[in-house]
Amino acid sequence: MVNKMNILNVSEGNTASVDLTEPKIKAKKVNVYYGDNHALKDIDLNINPNEVTALIGPSGCGKSTFLRCLNRMNDTIDTCRVEGNIFLDNQNINDKKIDVVQLRARIGMVFQKPNPFPKSIYDNIAYGPRIHGIANNKSELDDIVHSSLKKAGLWNEVHDRLDASGTSLSGGQQQRLCIARTIAIEPEVILMDEPCSALDPIATAIIEELIEDLKNRYAIVIVTHSMQQAARISQKTAFFHLGKLMEVGDTATIFTNPTHEKTKDYITGRYG
Amino acid sequence: MTDTSQNNQTVSRVDWNSEKQVARLKKRYIKEKIFKSIAILSLGTALAALLVVLISIFSTGISGFTETRIMMDIRIDENIVGDVDNLTQEELETHIASININRMLVSSLQEKFPDVTRRADVFSLLRLFSVGAQSDIREAILDDITIIGNTVPISLKAGSDVDMLIKGNISRDVVESDRKISDQQIIWVDQFISEGRVTQNFNWGFFTSGDSREPELAGIWSATVGSFLTLLVTFMISFPIGVGSAIYLEEFAPKNRLTDIIEININNLAAVPSIIFGLLGLAIFINFMNLPRSAPLVGGLTLALMTLPTIIITARAAIKAVPPSIKEAAIGLGASHMQTVFHHVLPLSMPGILTGSIIGMAQALGETAPLLMIGMVAFIVDTPTGITEAATALPVQVYLWADSPERGFLEKTSAAIMILLAFLIIMNGLAIWLRQKFEKKW
Repeated sequence: MVNKMNILNVSEGNTASVDLTEPKIKAKKVNVYYGDNHALKDIDLNINPNEVTALIGPSGCGKSTFLRCLNRMNDTIDTCRVEGNIFLDNQNINDKKIDVVQLRARIGMVFQKPNPFPKSIYDNIAYGPRIHGIANNKSELDDIVHSSLKKAGLWNEVHDRLDASGTSLSGGQQQRLCIARTIAIEPEVILMDEPCSALDPIATAIIEELIEDLKNRYAIVIVTHSMQQAARISQKTAFFHLGKLMEVGDTATIFTNPTHEKTKDYITGRYG
Repeated sequence: MTDTSQNNQTVSRVDWNSEKQVARLKKRYIKEKIFKSIAILSLGTALAALLVVLISIFSTGISGFTETRIMMDIRIDENIVGDVDNLTQEELETHIASININRMLVSSLQEKFPDVTRRADVFSLLRLFSVGAQSDIREAILDDITIIGNTVPISLKAGSDVDMLIKGNISRDVVESDRKISDQQIIWVDQFISEGRVTQNFNWGFFTSGDSREPELAGIWSATVGSFLTLLVTFMISFPIGVGSAIYLEEFAPKNRLTDIIEININNLAAVPSIIFGLLGLAIFINFMNLPRSAPLVGGLTLALMTLPTIIITARAAIKAVPPSIKEAAIGLGASHMQTVFHHVLPLSMPGILTGSIIGMAQALGETAPLLMIGMVAFIVDTPTGITEAATALPVQVYLWADSPERGFLEKTSAAIMILLAFLIIMNGLAIWLRQKFEKKW
């Protein structure tokens, strides 16, 4: 219990010391190429702490590609080449010296399709802390599993069957398990790639509530195809079109008074 | 809007009841029926062929599991046995092994057939029994030494020709000169039969003894042990190397021209005739590395070369089948590439890898040609106790027996094939079981 408090204190301390006016992530002139295909063109975007940033735009506009730049997930694609600088707390993550494993522990990711490991619920959560050596003993690990499931709003549903397979849960529960798995290693930023697209409206509502809650502790970047979702949960919205960042601003402004014609067309559903 | 579209539909709609459409439909059904019946026919042909093979093997081989024994009253002559009172068990065994059992058998036979006096006749009378009959008598004495000096009935192993006659594999209708058993011998056998002395027993010796020149004494044990030792070497070499190569090629190797060439070559290697691997094994392991000839070590190494492509190809397929979402999940949590592979990809692909490996092993178990090249085709009576001793393997044993002229080896060949098939079925069953047991759902 003492240890758990320690972990919480540390992270709370971090949150408190963060300068809320300073962006958590600053992307400067990011260009991405898939082979000869220029997928992202000169993206400049800041991600603020304790805020939900929504990335919207038609399919193939590069919003997922941009999201995957933020934790260097694109490294796993052979043909992909990323240029430009992305700063996480003034540290360039595209720097060769950056340890990508550590980076991905600091910037967690939730995927479009719920992808729990075919292991027990407990092991799903415990995997991250185990490989990063976050817990020193079994009871600390138990505490991390407990608090992560609680924060993801899943504890009450699964506390009596932590040994059950993660894949035995429903789709919405699986996605919350994936979120719990991500926050178990206490990241600073959470990236979400259309986390609700495979879920029904009720499960979606639960996840949205969860995101609302999580933004008090983390910077969240979410890719979504649902205008309503972006409007409901985000504070800042960025509209991508054909690999370009067309417009970015407060969600309220973007949805009520977009400056760009394309943004207006997309938001009102004229295309996309 | 709605009305117009409905009207449009009505206009463009096909008249499904028109003669043309009905005919079209009929034609389609006929085509389906023809295809189905051709498929069923080909499946039926394949099944029938399999059935013919199995039935012919079973009908010939099933009698290989039984042996013929003749109950004889044997006088355990104390003069031949000598004084055994003060011997330890070990000394007794050595002593009994050295005494002239043959004389005991001959005198007992002469007692039973007093009118047989000619040397040649006595010899042909003796030929009714297997050489193994002597060990039957020895075992009887060792079991109970109180029978020394008495006349006791002992069940003796019959010779192969008698065995064949009883099993109906040698016909009595053939002229005497064309069969291996003489008319006189048949008369003696019939006398034994009428006295109720001839029995058919389960042939345990077939499973516990090694090869022999005498069909009735030949067994598959040494070949089975040889096969096991060979497969052990094959597995120890090909599994780690095969799975390691598969992991490297699938997960870590850069995708370039070189890896493409390697991949094509591995696929081609899987189709190389196995005898070529035998030549390779002969050249490298025996002629160059001077490893012992005829040994399971060399056989296993050669078969490992042959099995490697199979294991690499199936392991790569199994690794490829792991959903990328699982890998992304692990990488997204900050697992390194190596951790992702060993914590998630490998455990998830293990059932597939094992299935492939077992099928590769089954293939190696049935392989004969490469073993012929490296000298595992020798006549091996003793059971090998290590991988460097001379040994033979089950399929080679089948090959050797099939090549033997004695009538008795025919049923032995089929019986050995049945054992080999049983091993193959067990291994394939194991592969299926593993796949179903560890199959994970994503």
